[in-house]
Amino acid sequence: MIADGNSAIVQLREVTKVYRQGAVDVHALRGLTFDVAKGEFTAICGPSGSGKTTALNLIGALDRPTSGSVLLEGNDLSQLNRRELSSLRRDRIGFVFQAYNLIPVLTAYENAETVMWVQRVDVAERRRRVMELLAAVGLEGLEDRRPAELSGGQQQRVAIARAIAAGPAIVLADEPTANVDSETADRLIGIMERLNEEQGVTFLFSTHDPRVMERAHRLVRLVDGNVDSDERRR
Amino acid sequence: MTGRGTSMTVTAWRNLWRNRRRTLLTLSSIAFGVFLAVLFTAMQDRNWTDMINLAARIGAGHVTLQHVEYLDAPRLSKTVQGTDSLRVVALAEPGVTRAVERIAGQMMLNTAWESRGAGFIAVDPDVEDTTTFTVLGAIVEGEPFTSANDGGLILGERLAANLGVELGDKVVYTMTARTGEIVSGLARVSGIVRTGAPSVDGGLSLLPIDAVRTVLGYAPDEATQIAVFVDDQRKADRVAERLQAGVGPGVSAHPWHEIQRELAAFIALKVGGARFMEALIAVLVAAGIFNTLFVSVMERLREFGIMMAIGWSPGRLFRLVVLESAWLGVLGLLSAALITALPYWYLATKGIDVSGITGPTTTEVSGVAMPATFRVGIFPEHAVVIAVAALVATLLAGLYPAWKAGRVDPVETIKLV
Repeated sequence: MIADGNSAIVQLREVTKVYRQGAVDVHALRGLTFDVAKGEFTAICGPSGSGKTTALNLIGALDRPTSGSVLLEGNDLSQLNRRELSSLRRDRIGFVFQAYNLIPVLTAYENAETVMWVQRVDVAERRRRVMELLAAVGLEGLEDRRPAELSGGQQQRVAIARAIAAGPAIVLADEPTANVDSETADRLIGIMERLNEEQGVTFLFSTHDPRVMERAHRLVRLVDGNVDSDERRR
Repeated sequence: MTGRGTSMTVTAWRNLWRNRRRTLLTLSSIAFGVFLAVLFTAMQDRNWTDMINLAARIGAGHVTLQHVEYLDAPRLSKTVQGTDSLRVVALAEPGVTRAVERIAGQMMLNTAWESRGAGFIAVDPDVEDTTTFTVLGAIVEGEPFTSANDGGLILGERLAANLGVELGDKVVYTMTARTGEIVSGLARVSGIVRTGAPSVDGGLSLLPIDAVRTVLGYAPDEATQIAVFVDDQRKADRVAERLQAGVGPGVSAHPWHEIQRELAAFIALKVGGARFMEALIAVLVAAGIFNTLFVSVMERLREFGIMMAIGWSPGRLFRLVVLESAWLGVLGLLSAALITALPYWYLATKGIDVSGITGPTTTEVSGVAMPATFRVGIFPEHAVVIAVAALVATLLAGLYPAWKAGRVDPVETIKLV
């Protein structure tokens, strides 16, 4: 589905990605085209090898397409150098990983703060924003705990706070509920839904989790590196 | 912690303690390396200083004022005049503690039954003591001279034995005067010295300076050298330079290493060897630090990938690892200070008696006996050099791991989805 160019945060156009595995070329994406508009709560699903990972890597400015173009807020990522991509990830993209991937030596507070810290946001503003976000994800009182002292669900909530702390254009969430129990998963989805509704944060998930698919406002199904279906629920 | 927020320095500090055992081992290697370097250098600084001071007190001072041709042609005809005013000039220099005039040369010693060639140093007993002339403290028989015109002669123990003389015996000494004429004097053996240095005990004699002046026909303020002593042997070059500018033509000022060339060459050789050893220690320590940091970085590639994904720049990751190595360096130096303090204090104040190793005959270089007790005493600037070198080695060892951290490919390391 192609959105109105003005409201699209992400635009993928005829994107292909070919990996070389030994002597074999693996076509991970085969002309993928779709947009993500501002404020969407979208899930990408599909079987293993359908290209979900590759699509998120490209949108997250972590990788480059073999052909086609990936635009984030109108910027063609293939035209940006290493430093510009780093700045773009810092300022415009939030990441939530399946394995949480918090920095183990930093406290919950510091992990949530780290992106704003590298952005050199004023200390008082950082503090205000982090405390507000940790409260929003239900982690008041746990600010000084390090990741090893938090449960999986708590770590993922810190990761969500970290992802949205700097006000990114989009949050890319990789299987955010894969490593937590169903009750925690429901809670995490609820937190992200609320952030989407109340703060207008745009979420794009890669998921196998039926609960995430059920509650996504839009569900894009990939098969063999291309869009098989694109269902908009709201 | 929430009050302070994220800090690169704190993050680097915490990273250091993620593998406590590895960090402690690395700190131990830095501390031990610095410990070795400090003691090694301190032993040399003290040893060479002791030897140089001893050489100055046996021979011609830390700086010697003498006739411009005396160094190449040490004859009794090459004298300096106006020694009183030269001494005043020397004593006016900062760092100069003493300045004494002497006549030094070669002579023949003759008894009724034996003749021997020997070196002699004529001294003024009124201004000399053991702080300017160590040999005066090594008199084992007889007495020091009572005046500059004393009719006595002090001989090295072996030289006396070779001449077959004892205290009170008459000896005729023969020298070549400035005219080329052979002149003689008569003296009675008034003292025997035993220094432990074979060249001194077997070949040196002492005479009172005015007696020698009379024999040689010198003026009252004429001598072959003025021995200048400084409070720190490292000032010798600077004092010699300044004196050279102030003493006028016909007189040259030489630092000790131009006079005692054999000793200077010996020390230079030893110092060169020591520098090589220190460099080797530095390389070994740096290799240990490099290994620690490199393994630490390789273990955290995924984490660095995540950090880069969320916006840490390669430069920031580079700085983080460099800061970790800086912490290692600082902590290593503190550990080194802790483990070095007590042994250093002991060796500086008590020392180690090595006479059991060297045996009864003292080893000597250029007439200077090696100290029988090794003590330490590092020059402050050398301690600073070691500390800075350890820090620089630590930082250099961290550069490649830091660069590696900054080159992480997020896709390869985190495999996002």
